[in-house]
Amino acid sequence: MKKTNLLTVATLCLAFAFTSCSKSDSVECHECHIAFDGANGEIEVEIGEFCGAALEDVEAPGYSHTIELTVVDGDTVPAGTYSEIHCEEHADH
Amino acid sequence: MKKFLISSFLMMNIFTLYSQTKGIVLDAYNIPINEVNIFFSDQNILIYSNEDGEFVTEIDIPNNSYINFYKYGYSSKIFKYKSGADLKIILDELHINLDEIGVAESFNMLGNSKLTSIDKKSLDDDFSSSSTMIENIAQLAGVDAISSGTGIQKLVVRGLSGMRVVTYLNGMKIENQQWANDHGLGFTDLGLYEVELIKGSSALKYGGEAVGGVIYFKDNPFVISKVISGYISTKFNNSNFLSGNQIGLKWSKNNFFINFHAQYSLASDYRLPNSTYLFNSRYRNRAIKFSIANRKNNMQNIFRYQYNGDEVGIPAHTHENLENVNIDDITNSNIDFSQDYKVTRPTQFIDNHLLVYENNYFLNKSKLSFHLGHFINNLKEYEKWTIPAFDMVLSNTQIRANTRTNLDYFTINIGAQAGIMKNENNTIERLIPDANTNDLGFYTTLDYERKKFGLSAGFRLDYKKIDSEEQNYDKLFSALSSSAGVYFKQQSHLLRLTYSGAFRAPHFAELFADGIHHGTNRYELGDTDLELEKGYQLDLKYQWSNDHFGLVINPFTHNIFDFISINPTDSLYDNNYKIFDYTQFNKVNLSGFEMNFHFHPHSIHSLHFEQSYSFIKTKNYDNNKVLALTPSNKIKTGVKFELEEYNLGIKFKAVSLYHLYSFAQEKVVENETVTDAYNVLNIALSFKLFKQLNTVLGINNLLNEEYVPHLSRVKVVGGGIPNPGRSFTINLKYEL
Repeated sequence: MKKTNLLTVATLCLAFAFTSCSKSDSVECHECHIAFDGANGEIEVEIGEFCGAALEDVEAPGYSHTIELTVVDGDTVPAGTYSEIHCEEHADH
Repeated sequence: MKKFLISSFLMMNIFTLYSQTKGIVLDAYNIPINEVNIFFSDQNILIYSNEDGEFVTEIDIPNNSYINFYKYGYSSKIFKYKSGADLKIILDELHINLDEIGVAESFNMLGNSKLTSIDKKSLDDDFSSSSTMIENIAQLAGVDAISSGTGIQKLVVRGLSGMRVVTYLNGMKIENQQWANDHGLGFTDLGLYEVELIKGSSALKYGGEAVGGVIYFKDNPFVISKVISGYISTKFNNSNFLSGNQIGLKWSKNNFFINFHAQYSLASDYRLPNSTYLFNSRYRNRAIKFSIANRKNNMQNIFRYQYNGDEVGIPAHTHENLENVNIDDITNSNIDFSQDYKVTRPTQFIDNHLLVYENNYFLNKSKLSFHLGHFINNLKEYEKWTIPAFDMVLSNTQIRANTRTNLDYFTINIGAQAGIMKNENNTIERLIPDANTNDLGFYTTLDYERKKFGLSAGFRLDYKKIDSEEQNYDKLFSALSSSAGVYFKQQSHLLRLTYSGAFRAPHFAELFADGIHHGTNRYELGDTDLELEKGYQLDLKYQWSNDHFGLVINPFTHNIFDFISINPTDSLYDNNYKIFDYTQFNKVNLSGFEMNFHFHPHSIHSLHFEQSYSFIKTKNYDNNKVLALTPSNKIKTGVKFELEEYNLGIKFKAVSLYHLYSFAQEKVVENETVTDAYNVLNIALSFKLFKQLNTVLGINNLLNEEYVPHLSRVKVVGGGIPNPGRSFTINLKYEL
C-alpha cells in the first residue's frame, strides 16, 4: 500500500511537471534592435520594447524602422531606414 | 454433467501445470546462481532466477523460442526452447565481461552477433550514470558524438552519421530531420533497456539505406509481477544545473503486461572550463511512454506509444562571421536562475509521437512477425519570437512483415518492409519543401551454424520514390543490397569476416534544400541531380579471451561511391550566411581498426581494466584529400573496482574511472580547422544509502580540461567553444 501511495505521488508530481510550465497568458514583450553591419562587426541600435501584436509586426518580413544618426559605444550608425531588426536576447550578465 | 465439469477442471489444472516452464541455472560447480536475467527474447519478457537458481513461469513458451540467460560476471547463453527439454543451464564464471563488443553469446534484434559485427550497450541504468546516453554509447570503440553541450547530441559511427546511420526505436525507423547536425536523436534514455549497433551496412532486415550503420534501441522488457514494481529516479548536475526526473512502473496479470515511464528534465546553460556559461545551451525535456502486451496461446500483441517533447536552445548563435565571434559575447559570467532556465531564441521546439503495434505468431519452427509503426516529428526552429524560421511536420508510416524459420542448423528470415514519409511545411519561408517518399523493400537472410563454423548471406531489394510538386520532381530509385559473413571458432579464438554492400537514395533535404538554416548558421543548397550513394564494406574481427584477458581486433575498410556531401562555397547569402551546397564525390574510403583489450588481474579480483582503440582514416579520391569531419583517433579506458565484497559500512558497489584520450586531428579539408589532443577523465562512485536507494556520485571532466572535440557543432565559433568543464553529479534511484 505504501509503495502504491509513493508511486501515485511520484506520478502526480510528474503530471504536475508536464502541466505546470504551460505558456503564460501574459503578453510577450522583448527589446528589439537594428543590427547594423559596422566596420568592426555588428552594431546594435536599440529601438525599444515591443509587445504582442507590435512584436509580431516588428518581426514580420518587410518591416523597417527609421532612426536618426546614432552613436553606439563610439561607432556611428547613419540616419536611415533599416530592415534588419532583431529581438532575440544575448548573453548579458 | 458433474463428471464433465470435474474432468474439465482437472484438465485445466493439468494444462496449467503443463504450461509451466521451469528450470535451474547453475555454475560450473553445480552451485545455483540467483538473480540471473532470463530473457524470453521472442516474448520480450524478463524473469529472474531465485536463490536456489530456479525459475518458473506460467507463460507457455512455443518451441524454438530463444531464451537468453545472462548475469554480470558470468558467460551468457542462448537457449533454443524445446518443449519437454531439461532446462538446466550452466553459466561459467567470468572474470572479464565482453558483452558490449560482441564476444558474448547474446540475443540481438539485429541478427547473430557471431556472424555480424554487433556491439551493444546496456541502457538499463543509463539515467543513473553521470554522463548522457549519447556520451555513454560513444564509449564504444569506433563511436563518436556530434554535440553542442548536452542539449543537442547525436551519434557518429566510424565517421558517418545523419542519414547514413539509421536509428530504430522498438523496430520503428526514426525520421526526425536527421540530415542536420543540430537535430538530435529525438528521444531520451527513458524506459530503454539496451542499444545494439552495427557498424557498416550489414543489417539487411533493418538496413535499407543504412550505409554507415544501424542503431537499434530497445525498450525495457515486460516483467511477470502481480504487484506494481518500478522506480523513481532523479539526477542533478552542477554544470548546467540539470534537474532530471524519471519514473517507471511495471505490472502484469495473467497474460496482460504493462510498462509505463515518464520523464521531466530541465537544464540551464552549461559551464565552460573558464567558469563562464554558454548562453542558450539550455534545454527542457518532457517524455512519456507506455507499452501494453497481451499473450494468448501462440499469439502476442504489443502496442507502444511514446511522446518526447524538447525545447532546445541553439547556442553560439550570431549574425557575424563565425570565426570572428568573441566568445565573451556569447557567454555569461554567472547564472541568473530567474532567467537562464527560460526559453529564449533561437530555439528548437520538437514534438515526437511514436506509435507501434507488433504482432508475433509462433508456429512449431517459425515465428511470424508483423510490425506497424507511425512516427510524427514536428520540428519548429525559432530565431524570432513570433515567427518560426521553419515549422515542419515529418510523418513516417512503416509496415514490416517477417518470417523466421529455424531448421536444424539454419535460420532463415524472409520479409518485406514498406514506408510512406511525408514532409509538410507550416510556414511560407522554408528550408526544404513539401515532399513525399514511398519505399518498398524485400529481403531474405540465411544463417548457418554448426559446431565451429558459421556463415550468413542475404540480400535486400529496395525501391524508393521521391516526389515534390513544388520542385516538379518525381523519381524512382532502386537498389540491391547484399551481405555475407563467415566465422570460424577454434577453442577460445574466433575469426569472422563480413562483407556488406548497401545503397542510399538521396534525402529530400539533400535534393531540395534552399534556404537559411539558423541552427547551423548557413545557407544550404540542395541538388536535384543527386544519384544513389553506394557503400561496400569489408570487416574482419578476431577475438580471443581466457579467464583474465580478452582481446578483440577489428580492422575494416569501407568504399563509398557517389558519396553525398555538403560543402562550403566561396559565396555568401545576404552578405551574412556562407552558402553550403550538396555535391557528390565519385569515391571515398573510410578505413581503420578498432581494438578492445580487457584485463582482470588474477590477484585483484575486484579490478577490471578495459581499453579500446579507435583509428580511422579517410580519403576522398576526387581530390586526394581527407573527408571533412573525420573523427580524431581515440583511446578509451575504463577501470572499475568493485567494492561489494568489502565491508565498508555504507554498501559501496563500485568506483569507476573513465578516461578518454583524443589524438590531435590535423588531417582536415580546406576551411576546416585542426583539433588539439585532449584528455578527459570522469570518476564515479556508486553505493546504496539503504537497501532500495542506489546512489551514484560523479565528477565529469575531473581535470577541468579545456577541449573542443573535432566534431563539436560549435567548433568553428570564435575559434572553438569548449565542452563543459569540471562538474559534479548526483544520481538517486529508488527501486520499488
